Amino acid sequence: MYNIVSLAFKYLFIFIIYFFMFSIIRLIYLDIKGMGLNTYNKSTYLKLINQKDTLPFKIKEVYPIDKDVTIGRSNQNNICIKDPYISKQHMRIVEDEGDFYLEDLNSANGTFVNGDRVMDVVKLKNGDSIRLGQIEFLFVNRK
Amino acid sequence: MNKKLISYRVPRNLLVLVDLMAIFLLFIHNAENPDKFTLITGVSLVFIIYISNFILLKISSGDHYIFLIVTMLITLGIIMIYRIDPNLGAKQVVWVSAGIVAFFITYVIVKKIKDWDKWLKFYVIASMILFIFTLIFGQRIGGAKNWIKIGRFSFQPSEIIKLLFIFFVASYYTNQKKYNLDKKGGYKLFLVVYGFIGFLFLQKDLGAAAVFYLIFLSIQYVYEEDRKLILYNVFLAFVGALASYFIFDHVKIRIETWIDPWKYIDNKGYQITQSLFAIASGGFFGTGVGLGHPDFIPAVHTDFIFSAICEEMGIFAGIAVMMLFLILVYRGFKIAFSQENLFFRIVAFGISAMFGFQAFIIFGGVIKMIPLTGITLPFISYGGSSMIASFIALGILQVASEELDTEGEEENEQRA
Repeated sequence: MYNIVSLAFKYLFIFIIYFFMFSIIRLIYLDIKGMGLNTYNKSTYLKLINQKDTLPFKIKEVYPIDKDVTIGRSNQNNICIKDPYISKQHMRIVEDEGDFYLEDLNSANGTFVNGDRVMDVVKLKNGDSIRLGQIEFLFVNRK
Repeated sequence: MNKKLISYRVPRNLLVLVDLMAIFLLFIHNAENPDKFTLITGVSLVFIIYISNFILLKISSGDHYIFLIVTMLITLGIIMIYRIDPNLGAKQVVWVSAGIVAFFITYVIVKKIKDWDKWLKFYVIASMILFIFTLIFGQRIGGAKNWIKIGRFSFQPSEIIKLLFIFFVASYYTNQKKYNLDKKGGYKLFLVVYGFIGFLFLQKDLGAAAVFYLIFLSIQYVYEEDRKLILYNVFLAFVGALASYFIFDHVKIRIETWIDPWKYIDNKGYQITQSLFAIASGGFFGTGVGLGHPDFIPAVHTDFIFSAICEEMGIFAGIAVMMLFLILVYRGFKIAFSQENLFFRIVAFGISAMFGFQAFIIFGGVIKMIPLTGITLPFISYGGSSMIASFIALGILQVASEELDTEGEEENEQRA
């Protein structure tokens, strides 16, 4: 009796172990796949130019831009970057009739678009570089 | 309902299924006199595994797969150990429970305290004290003098020192700029690391020495700026290995039995040949749990557990165990990649390297691919200190898998 059950079970054991591994690999696959999807689907985003490793604070490679995005050091902003050279409310990007405008919110160290300091509002076009604090973004707008 | 319970979407239910099958099997095994002891051990194991997986899902935002993989490894290990010796199996269940408690405690403590990278000296001093303690009070079990006995319990300090060692190397490379002012920091690190390895040599614990060395080499390979130090390291290890072959008798024996175990089958090569016989007699699907003779191999419940699994559950189960370790190490590296905090990044890398090397050395040893050294297979072998230390390491890895915000808010305010 025991021998028969044991013989049957050895196949079952192997089957379940592999099934288990399959399920974990599937979950890991979904995990990896999910990471890239929500950011790269957007046609408008800010891309980090700096080497990510050189910055001492947490930052993502890509930030998607919706209708209205504020950037700053405080947690109330849509994009919160803990760079000490960025003001609490540093700048915002607004969409108006398909165009994107960058507005500096009286930041202490300023925002620079293609090297020029933003005094009031600047219209952004695809490929502009935006520098604030220690970081530099590339503005991408594929529309 | 039934379909939902056993689905590939919920791996932890599959785990329970394996456990239930194993209990059922054990029950038929003793059909004439069913004993309560077996039942209680088995059921408590299922509960511990299921509940801890469930709790982890609730409290941790990090990686949930490493714990699942580990519980699968533990399940396979316990089935095998219980089959070899029910008393040891029951004890192993106790050790696993203690390990899981240690896992959660480590998780909370490591997460709470922020300054792990600043205690470099503490790690060195603590490990040196443990080493000296082992040398004075150590007991000799199986060639190496690496056990401390306190009352009825004995434990292996080198398991704990392994973790302290990873922390030490990580805290050095986190503050590399600070310690490397005179460009000689790398050499000082060298000196301390070889001090560690020297102590292990004094204990004749060469398997552990190999693991320490390999962990150090991999961390150094990734983070050392002075590349020629890596070459020195490889060269020194080569010299050390050669010297130990001529100095230590048991290293010589291990090498001889590795090259030709059949010549010494009646004494020195008995263990390794029995292991090879066991793996061969299992075939692809094994003899079935309880139908083989893994007890012919000496020390089958610790070092040679892998041969026992291969014999009774088949080569396929053996490959599965290897693949589970592969996924575990892969997950560890993935955690290291996505961790922003440099210290925990190095620690995660070191710990996954530790699991990987330890598994590789003992897998390779029992299948006669590399010379055999007696170290435990993490999470599968019988043994309290190894189990608890592995779970502590896993707890640290779990912390490292979360996003840690160690940037002080106030510091930024002042500089702005």
